[in-house]
Amino acid sequence: MKYHPVTLVTGLVVAAIFAAMLVCFQVRQTEVAVVTTFGRFSRTIDKPGFNLRLPWPIQSVHRFDNRVRNFERKYEQVTTRDARLILIDVFLGWKIKDARVFLERFGGDQMMAEERLEGILRDAKNGVVGQHPLSDFISPNPSELRFDAIEKEMLASVKPKALENYGVEVVLLGIKQIGLPQSITEKVFERMKAERDQLVKQFQGEGAGEAIRIRSEADLRRDQILAEAEAKATVIRGNAEQQAARALRTFEQNPELAVFLLKLDALEQALKERSTLVVDTRTPPFDLLRTPPTPATSK
Amino acid sequence: MNDAPETPPQPPPADAGPPQAPEAPAPAAHAPGTFEDASSQALSEALHSSFRVIKVFMIGLTLLFLCSGMFIVEPNEVVVKLLFGKPEGTGKDQLLQPGWHWAWPYPINEKVRIKVGQSHTVSSTTGWYQVTPEMAAANAQPQALGYLRPEADGYTLTADGNIIHVRATIKYRITDPIQYAFGFTNVTEVLTNIVNNAIFHASARFTADQALYKEKTAFRDAVIARVQEKIEAHEVGIALEPSDVETVAAADVRDAFEKVNQMEQARSSEISRARSYQEELVNTALGQSNAIVNAGLVSSNRIVSGVQAAALAFDDQLPQYVENPRLFQERLLAARLQRVLTNTNAKFLLPEEFSELRLQLSREPESRESTPIP
Repeated sequence: MKYHPVTLVTGLVVAAIFAAMLVCFQVRQTEVAVVTTFGRFSRTIDKPGFNLRLPWPIQSVHRFDNRVRNFERKYEQVTTRDARLILIDVFLGWKIKDARVFLERFGGDQMMAEERLEGILRDAKNGVVGQHPLSDFISPNPSELRFDAIEKEMLASVKPKALENYGVEVVLLGIKQIGLPQSITEKVFERMKAERDQLVKQFQGEGAGEAIRIRSEADLRRDQILAEAEAKATVIRGNAEQQAARALRTFEQNPELAVFLLKLDALEQALKERSTLVVDTRTPPFDLLRTPPTPATSK
Repeated sequence: MNDAPETPPQPPPADAGPPQAPEAPAPAAHAPGTFEDASSQALSEALHSSFRVIKVFMIGLTLLFLCSGMFIVEPNEVVVKLLFGKPEGTGKDQLLQPGWHWAWPYPINEKVRIKVGQSHTVSSTTGWYQVTPEMAAANAQPQALGYLRPEADGYTLTADGNIIHVRATIKYRITDPIQYAFGFTNVTEVLTNIVNNAIFHASARFTADQALYKEKTAFRDAVIARVQEKIEAHEVGIALEPSDVETVAAADVRDAFEKVNQMEQARSSEISRARSYQEELVNTALGQSNAIVNAGLVSSNRIVSGVQAAALAFDDQLPQYVENPRLFQERLLAARLQRVLTNTNAKFLLPEEFSELRLQLSREPESRESTPIP
């Protein structure tokens, strides 16, 4: 029997590939692997790369996805410390921390692991929510809110149990949803409507009242301003009269002349603009028209 | 094959080309043996042909295997090349940039493509009302039922214990492709829950009025800040881009909220009008105040200067008056009457004796008619 060299090389390559498949394996960046020898734990490989093993059935390799997995389950009803019924849903992110424990507890079944996690999570949720009143979950006062603290308490409750019992690390936990039972939403809507109606009435009265207050304040302010101005003007005029009074002492030298001069000024001022004058002939200088001057007087 | 029995006639060698047709029929005594030889020869030839095809196919496969290592990284992506499952290189060298690259076929090398150039979007799933495709197409809102079904209707609880609908649409781009691709089984699920968490976290500290109307921007900022805080804490490997947060009142109380808003608007308008009145009135009063004070000053000046002038005139005229009071008075009176009579519009001189005087005082009917009627 003659062997062709190409056939021989091909056969050798194929045989080498099969042999390599039996003794070599790789662990991906996203994986962690457990090597067992005759079913008993040998070692954990948590670094990615190329690895060797004894061929099956001596050694077996169990690979698990080592990335953070999201986990969430039911939107469940829980009672707060102040006996309020709320619905709460919590999500968590978990990854395999101890692959050996994980393999021994679940045989690599991640669904089974999540079922167990659900139990731990439910216990933590009920326990923590039961220790807090509703005002710790929702409050307009930031100092009263315990939203973050509640999440931390739940995480602190879940994390050690998951790691110790299942080889699982819970890396994140958060409240996904908070709600109220259906019957309570009905009551909330009724309350909200009542509050809105009250606000409507309040705004109706408030608007008119506030407007009246502002207008009356404006009127008051205007009167104050004008009164102050009048007072100021009066003071100014008073000062002027005072100064004038000092000047009037001059007139005391001859009151008769002073009165005469003031009357003349008053007469001129009174008939200054667009006046109509009705006089008879006895009024000087029109009296000149009544009696012709005599020669004696003309002289 | 070469191990075929060596019986005459010898079959042609495998590389001898197609078999030649026999030149003369075989003798009848040799008929069975000849038939077997022909069968063997045909089988051999068929096997040779098959091996030739397989050889060509193998060579082709080998070439294909070698060429399959060529790949292109597109402009909007990076590729991480795994060597036996481990990323090649360190730091930024782990990321193959756009262009031609080569890798060994799997399982030696593995290529992981990550879309880093495009913006990704994730939306909350828990705070919004149930939307059917028909409602989404018509942009319709749900009918008020009087209650909400926890299993179907999403909503959040506000700080004042009210119910509102919130939907956050967060946009992001990948900044750490290694962490993004290898850190989480399903990043979108994790991000969705982080966004869900953020809308409840923000709702817990804003009242319904604040979240819906008065502080919408602050509410949106609170949601985004919470998402940012969480993605940094959990090293998701992304950076947020401008995102959107919507809030609406539940269908059952929407009308009530609208009514409050209308009343609040009316109240604001009324107050605003009153403030305008106040401003106008006070400004006018301030102007009038200035005018009053100025009038006072003018009056003051007039009084003082008038009296001072009169005093000066008095001093000047007193000696003449003392000299002949009657003549002085007559002279001054005549001079002043002259000015007065010159300035008057009309002058009526009555006779010395008259029985009746009638005055028509409406001298200027035109100006009265032109006076505007208040």
